[in-house]
Amino acid sequence: MSTETTDPTEEFRENQSWLFDTTAGVYLRKTLVGLVTAGAGLFVLFPLYWLVVTAFKTTAEIQQIPPTIVPQNWSLQGFSVVIESSIQAGGYQVFFENTLGVTITSAIDINVLQLVFNSLKVSVGAGLIAVAFGTVASYVLSRRDFRGKNVLMSLFLASLMFPGTAIMVPEWELINMLDLYNTHVALVLIYGAMTAPFVVWLMKGFFDDFPGSIIDAARMDQCSPYETFRYVVVPMARNSLIASFIFAFLLAWNELVFALTLLGNAKYTVPPGLLTFVQGFNTQWNVVAAASILVSVPVLLGLAYIQRYFVQGLTGGAIKG
Amino acid sequence: MTRLELEHVTKRFDGPSGDIVAVNDLSLEVDDGDFLVLLGPSGCGKTTTLRMIGGLEEPTEGDVTFDGVRVNDVKARNRDVAMVFQDFALYPHMTVGENLGFGLKREDNGLAENEIDERVAEVAEMLEIGDLLDKKPSSLSGGQKQRVALGRAIVREPRLFLFDEPLANLDAQLRKTMRTEIDELQSRMGITSAYVTHNQEEAMTIADEIAILNDGTLQQHDTPARIFNSPNNLFVAQFVGSPDMNIFDGTMTEEGERYRVEFAGRSFHVPRDLFEDVAEDVSDVTIGFRPQDLFREASTEGRQGHAGPVIDSEIRVIEPLGTDAIVHAEIDEGTLTSTLTRFHEIDEGDAATFTIAPEHIYVFERDTERLIKGRVDTETDEVGAVMSD
Repeated sequence: MSTETTDPTEEFRENQSWLFDTTAGVYLRKTLVGLVTAGAGLFVLFPLYWLVVTAFKTTAEIQQIPPTIVPQNWSLQGFSVVIESSIQAGGYQVFFENTLGVTITSAIDINVLQLVFNSLKVSVGAGLIAVAFGTVASYVLSRRDFRGKNVLMSLFLASLMFPGTAIMVPEWELINMLDLYNTHVALVLIYGAMTAPFVVWLMKGFFDDFPGSIIDAARMDQCSPYETFRYVVVPMARNSLIASFIFAFLLAWNELVFALTLLGNAKYTVPPGLLTFVQGFNTQWNVVAAASILVSVPVLLGLAYIQRYFVQGLTGGAIKG
Repeated sequence: MTRLELEHVTKRFDGPSGDIVAVNDLSLEVDDGDFLVLLGPSGCGKTTTLRMIGGLEEPTEGDVTFDGVRVNDVKARNRDVAMVFQDFALYPHMTVGENLGFGLKREDNGLAENEIDERVAEVAEMLEIGDLLDKKPSSLSGGQKQRVALGRAIVREPRLFLFDEPLANLDAQLRKTMRTEIDELQSRMGITSAYVTHNQEEAMTIADEIAILNDGTLQQHDTPARIFNSPNNLFVAQFVGSPDMNIFDGTMTEEGERYRVEFAGRSFHVPRDLFEDVAEDVSDVTIGFRPQDLFREASTEGRQGHAGPVIDSEIRVIEPLGTDAIVHAEIDEGTLTSTLTRFHEIDEGDAATFTIAPEHIYVFERDTERLIKGRVDTETDEVGAVMSD
């Protein structure tokens, strides 16, 4: 404490800085922080914005140079092409013609609904496999000590660092040998195997912090190890399990290379399916954008619903708080 | 209804630098319906002992027996033992009612769903948590959680209750009420219990018998009164009782039918028959006395026939506790602590003279720290003969 001043109010004013303790400094600080936030926000959100406005432009406006930031004519052309093409590819024209009296013809022949359905099938399957195997494995890795445990954990981590394409050829061989080429099961297995190591790491973190006394209590309450896992551990791990599932699900949902390689046209999932909208010089970008938005909607809705589980506390007051 | 026995139980853990002996050759017997408290400082092996009784740890050597049957290889879930944990360990995803009924549902007891519900309601009634049955543990207060944890143990009517510092997470006021409740509940149900605590006051009030452990070794297994008055050694004497015992180095010489004990420049005589098997050549001893047994000479004026040492001191600190106060006073050889009721007459910095009855003084062999003379309670013990000299 400095003794240079004897004025009691002055003593409290010592150690002040211009940036933090003057009005001008505070405004400058807030402006800088705001600018950086805005810049980062723009950087992240602009591609999304571009996708949305492109979907609402007409084909003519897309080819305009310079491009327009805001569409001059808002148009649902892109969406109607996607929907019409889906109706036609799905074989529903007759139904529409008979009931609504609308004749639908489309130049493109892609069923977006089928793509979404295929992707859901693959992604949910992969998510379930990854969570089921990953959770069981991580429980054992967390609760038991055995030789080679650390090596195993490192291997899991290393497998996450491999780019998927690096193992494309052996995977292709394997799938061929199992006679699973051009099936969704092949993708479920591959995606499940690719994400399970991540689930192991995530869930191991959870199980490592799991209060031992609750497991002891379950043992005292006459639970076998399986019953402890089934009735006590898994229900408490719900939020972590959901997080793991979402991770595995999203990876499978977004994966392009394996799906493109291992599936035929008719069984495409969303990523390779969207790619078929891109047709050389002829690409109607508003259609591609509209299709992208349409396939994202179900996933966005699902995630928005499930997101609340992330927020809830994990142990929720079981232990003295 | 179980008689619990530990026979030469040893537990070793692998440590980074060799084995760690948590419990060393421990033998204990607890009769049916008795309340045993395992007492000791942190890391003395008391919780490990409890976990071995419960089947959560397996003894490295020795046997745990229930009613004479060796249960070492019986898994925790088959021992029919219930445990209350320090952190309550309630299942956070279940309601209070589900928490209480969980053990019964897992048990192979042929109880129907509604019978279980009945039992749960009964126990909840007993513990006054009947209106909490639909709540989740996260919305309960500490005391309520503790009651649920107790209820979860009681509802199963097990062979044994194990308590692992169940009150350590509660505030002081609640700790006292819960302590009484646990004691009452255990006596009413008559279920053999083992209770771990590091709180000597808790142990003294609640226990039928106390086992004091230090460094994994049993120091004494006795009734609370005997632990207090005849501690086996200096460790036990210092561990129980509050405030801490006054300890001084002293010497002892034989003078016919009595011993002359000297410490801090004072001397007094104690009849030989108050001592227990004193070795021939003992002269270096450690003297101990409880703050409660120390009196101010002024306040004991007129007391007849009391031949204890008289100690002059200067009062340093007075800590009032309401009706009495803990007084710390300084003498040349160290500090004296005493509990006085008439503390308003004195002030910090005053000179004060203290005295103590010889029968209240503990004497230990200095080398072995073994007790050779305990505290004789004149009101309860005939041996407390009043000395003249």
